[in-house]
Amino acid sequence: MKKLLALFLALCMCLCVFAGCGAKKTDDPAGDDAGDAGETTLAGTYKIKVWVAENAVDLTTKQIKDFNDSNEDGIVIEATIEPVGEGDAATSMTTDIEAGADLYCFAQDQAARLIQSGALSKLGVAAAEKVSADNASGVVAAAKSGDDLYAYPLTADNGYFMYYDKSVVKEESIDSLEAIIADCEAAGKNFSYELEGSAWYTASFFFATGCHSDWTVDNDGAFTAVDDDFNSANGLIAAKGMQKLLASDCYNNSSAGADFAAAIPSAVVISGTWDYETVKGILGDNLGVTDLPSFNVDGKDYHLGSFNGCKLMGVKPQADAKKAAAIHKLAQYLTSEKAQMERFDTLSWGPANLKAQQAEKVQESPALVALLAQAPYSVPQGQIHGSWWDIGKAVATNIKAATDDAGLQAALDTYKTAIDGLFSLSEEVKNAYTVIGAVNGSNWDKDFEMVKGDDGKWTSKDAFELKAGDEFKVRQGLNWDVAYPADNFKVEADGTYYIVFDPAAETVELVAA
Amino acid sequence: MKKKKTQLPELPPKAKQHMGMKARNAISNTLIHILLIVITIIWLVPFVCIILQSFRCESSYMVGYVIPKEWGFDNYIALFDTDFPKWYLNTFITAVITALLQTVIVLCMSYTLSRFRFKGRKLLMRFMLILGMFPGMLTMIILYRVLKDIGMTEANAVPGLILVYIASSGMGYYVSKGFFDTIPKSLDEAARIDGATRLQILTKVILPLAKPIVIYTILTAFMAPWGDFVFARYVSMNVSSGMNVAVGLFSWLNKDMIDGRYTMFCAAGVLVALPVALLFIFLQKYYVEGVTGGAVKG
Amino acid sequence: MKKYSDLEYLKLPKFKRFLYTVLCFFVGIPGGILAFLKKIGAGIVGFFVGIKDEFVDIGTTFANGDWKTKISFFIMGFGSIARGQILRGLLFFLFEVAFIVYMIFAGGYWLSMLPSLGHRGPEVVYDPIYDAYVTKYFDNSFKILLYGVLTLFFIIALIYTWRLNIKQNKISEQILRSGKKLKSGKDDLRSLVDDQFHKTLLALPLTGIIVFTMMPIIFMILVAFTNYDGAHNGYSNNLFTWVGLDNFNSLLSWSKGDVSYAATFGEVLTWTLIWAFFATFTNYFLGMLVAMMINKKGIRIKKFWRTCLVFTIAVPQFISLLYVSKMFAQNGLINGFLKNMGLIEKALPFWTDPTWARITVIIINIWIGIPYLMLIATGILMNIPKDLYESAKVDGAGPVMQYTKITLPYMLFVTGPYLLTSFTSNMNNFNVIYLLTGGAPTSTLPSPGGNLGETDLLITWLFKLTTFEEAKYYMASVIGILVFVVVALISLVVYNLLPSTKNEEDFQ
Repeated sequence: MKKLLALFLALCMCLCVFAGCGAKKTDDPAGDDAGDAGETTLAGTYKIKVWVAENAVDLTTKQIKDFNDSNEDGIVIEATIEPVGEGDAATSMTTDIEAGADLYCFAQDQAARLIQSGALSKLGVAAAEKVSADNASGVVAAAKSGDDLYAYPLTADNGYFMYYDKSVVKEESIDSLEAIIADCEAAGKNFSYELEGSAWYTASFFFATGCHSDWTVDNDGAFTAVDDDFNSANGLIAAKGMQKLLASDCYNNSSAGADFAAAIPSAVVISGTWDYETVKGILGDNLGVTDLPSFNVDGKDYHLGSFNGCKLMGVKPQADAKKAAAIHKLAQYLTSEKAQMERFDTLSWGPANLKAQQAEKVQESPALVALLAQAPYSVPQGQIHGSWWDIGKAVATNIKAATDDAGLQAALDTYKTAIDGLFSLSEEVKNAYTVIGAVNGSNWDKDFEMVKGDDGKWTSKDAFELKAGDEFKVRQGLNWDVAYPADNFKVEADGTYYIVFDPAAETVELVAA
Repeated sequence: MKKKKTQLPELPPKAKQHMGMKARNAISNTLIHILLIVITIIWLVPFVCIILQSFRCESSYMVGYVIPKEWGFDNYIALFDTDFPKWYLNTFITAVITALLQTVIVLCMSYTLSRFRFKGRKLLMRFMLILGMFPGMLTMIILYRVLKDIGMTEANAVPGLILVYIASSGMGYYVSKGFFDTIPKSLDEAARIDGATRLQILTKVILPLAKPIVIYTILTAFMAPWGDFVFARYVSMNVSSGMNVAVGLFSWLNKDMIDGRYTMFCAAGVLVALPVALLFIFLQKYYVEGVTGGAVKG
Repeated sequence: MKKYSDLEYLKLPKFKRFLYTVLCFFVGIPGGILAFLKKIGAGIVGFFVGIKDEFVDIGTTFANGDWKTKISFFIMGFGSIARGQILRGLLFFLFEVAFIVYMIFAGGYWLSMLPSLGHRGPEVVYDPIYDAYVTKYFDNSFKILLYGVLTLFFIIALIYTWRLNIKQNKISEQILRSGKKLKSGKDDLRSLVDDQFHKTLLALPLTGIIVFTMMPIIFMILVAFTNYDGAHNGYSNNLFTWVGLDNFNSLLSWSKGDVSYAATFGEVLTWTLIWAFFATFTNYFLGMLVAMMINKKGIRIKKFWRTCLVFTIAVPQFISLLYVSKMFAQNGLINGFLKNMGLIEKALPFWTDPTWARITVIIINIWIGIPYLMLIATGILMNIPKDLYESAKVDGAGPVMQYTKITLPYMLFVTGPYLLTSFTSNMNNFNVIYLLTGGAPTSTLPSPGGNLGETDLLITWLFKLTTFEEAKYYMASVIGILVFVVVALISLVVYNLLPSTKNEEDFQ
């Protein structure tokens, strides 16, 4: 084995040295184009990588060329454009930011995750001001984390509404969920609503009854709190309404426009603007597009709500200020009123820019008209915790399985527990006592575990080496609300002790180990 | 089991038994034929459907009927306007090089472990057995980083993929070791007495006998890269020119693209399946000999 | 059961001899397990004794060695070069030099960072000149872990090579003392294609396995003890660090944890085992059946039947399975067909009902799996000695009897190892589940992220954990390790019992 082993190790070594060097190099923050600190011109050539949706590749290529020709700073962008869907972009960016694109598009629900991964760079002061002023406020909010603006609004059409087949769904039925279900069942056709597959759609029933799910996010994209009442009395009404559809034979858990042409065709599909061309092609003159219907529970109508979302364009953090500024300039151009209008003209993407939204042709586009009709019932999709999308869709599955009101309530409570679980401590932790203080080398920054005995007293799990004068407290639920003794416990003599706390008597004592 | 031979009752007249047997045989054969026809239909229906869809010209999204209303090669022609030819070429290159090098590696490994008795051999086999029990899925992210550090990702994904496929192929020596185990050792010894070196024994004596397992290994190694849509996706990292067919076609299933690309996906599927299926069908005989020789010993 | 001596055994008729072997196999199972445990114990003891011996040997070599040997303790390969074995000596020496250079320029840094996995995360700075935010990157936990482990590898390799170098000196001294000549470099090279040929053959495959299989696995195991996830990617947001057994604790919840995933894990594991069992045995028996049908005397166009079935192997799964998945959709071709024929009123819930979905994946897996088994069985069935059947026929055994007494035991005996590997690979059958259902329908059990579904196996769950929203790599690693434990337990016990692996030489 000898020679052989030595040989192969030498080989590995070369590889590793090589790799190690390579690693060092990429860590070097200095960029290739770093200019003098005193010089403020952005003129220069920048090589960047861009990810946009496949159908937008040609348009983006043209727009970048326009930018190169028209910008006054002398910036020349040499872009490599790869077709990457808005969903894949975020996943790829978080997998490896180094290899990710310098400029990329994504759906707003990915924003928090991207900010948190460090895959988005903040807008400069001037850019942030301009973008906030020019675009719809809901869209700007979606690009914000705390007070900081992290991305450029690209579209504002990421919502859903109803496509239906006029030959099946009667004109007088379109405002009532129950009537539509009846029409579909009578015709033996499906009603496609992706309730179990995507929380984005599931939420519409809850918004209908006035429920809300509001999330607080700090400046770094981390979620700090949630205010959610899906398990309230209103939530129960929503669940009852949803169950009507879930229980129907015509319910189909999908949101694909092509469902209209499936083996068991759908007569209704709840989907968004992106499906317009497909559906138009299938249904032709029978195509109906309108806002979502209402459902009726206990004699009262509730108009289905929806999310009103958008797509954003983000810039990857750069190590070189000059390059960062240049790319941000480009991003600003690509999301300007002019560029958004071009995108509407060629791709029918609904603009987020306020002026562009007012344009006549935008107001006449049939899909956007439906979206507009749905707008009063829609909720701006702010920042939502990534786990909510998984927790939310399981609600529909649970509601489907429930047989009575108690079951429905249980489904909603399960959801609520899971949501709260994202932030709060478990009951076990809330009730447990811990030792904290200037003990065992810590300085009031670490909780030491205690174990509950059969007599109801809590004893520290490990023995402490205490010195005279050491101070500590026993607290509950990692929280200062309940902490004993009121003044810190002061150790009187050196020694090895177990700390024992009696919750009944509220006393702390030391027991020599 | 007791010997019943002597206790058997007298046999019926031979002719009669023969006829009865024959009739029964004929019936059961007919039944089996019918059953086989049913099975074959079930087996082939999805493939026929895919082929039919690939010739559909009237629309490009998924539909609820199988037989196209307008026939044509439009979908195949349209493939040439996309990056599909590039992906195809990438995969083909990967498959050919992998097949050749992987075969060399696997044969080295399995031949050695079957023929040589050296210190640590059992340990080595145990070790590889244990390594093989870890789900390989997780190691992808690390392999990706390693490849990235040596510059074999994105547009250079093809050499990177080949490297990883080949490097880890030594683990799959079981079947071919099993095959080598069935070749009598006396052949080696005879050649050894004639003064042949180990290398000569391998090339002159063993390899000619091992033709089925060589072809088996080439075949399986050639087929694998066509279907890799997970690791290859990491390595190409969204760069179209580094993708293989599986990754490229998978990106067409995206919500935004599926409606415009569904029939093209089917057409591409047919083109991907074609070389692999043909090769497999022609070399089936060797495949059977290879696995039975090898799988028996596992 | 009666034990036969060797002589008695040889006297038995062939058929009985065979039955006896099979019986021995099953009777031997408990003993096998015991023997295996003993072996492990002996192995551990042996290991420590071996280490002690090594140290003693190193000490005596130094004490008794000449000056060349003594210098070799510090400059590797010196002894070999001094004694005229230039090639060997140079390799040793170069290795030492390469190691030192590596440690100075890269290895030292990685190694020193390994205990903390980095101190300084990225920092965002505002640049007022360009009105832009700039990010400065510092430590990278991922690279520290990766190259730190690599460096540890090299250190172990150095120690091992150093030990070899010492052994080499000792042997050379002995050879020279006994008056013989040392091998020249030319001899060394020649032996590489002859008596040392196995080393040449194994060099490349083993290098590949160590670098591209073993190292990543070790890395993966280590990740399970860190908090590496989407929010701590170790580079562009937060560094990750060691967290001990916390992740295992939160998955299996043996002490206080936030939410208990133990039930979820149990559920997924159970389904994984059920799936592996059915996927393996349905394919096995049905495949054998099909093979027997095709092989039966009097069946025509045998080759045609085989070729048709083989299509499912030949066509890449991501095409065939995706298509089949769509066919079984709620509004897909199958439901459409059944509805149009008037056979059903309501679409069958192939993918929407948990139980239906589980049964459907098992059935579709038959479609994929039978052809493999058919091919394997075809070959093996032809290998069954014809005289077994002849003697059984003479004994008055019917076709069923022949099957249960000869064909089946023979197949089971011969394909034992194959059954085991196919069971474990079915446990990790990513493609079938991922392409057919993607795990759907949604499960309502709590999962540490990753959108768990009712048909998810451990392996697809693990994959989802790494790709979905929060990318919990650490949790995926924990599950990966647990998958290993389960597979290893099943395999090692069975493997030690299988007759065909034990008697490796029997076949030659």
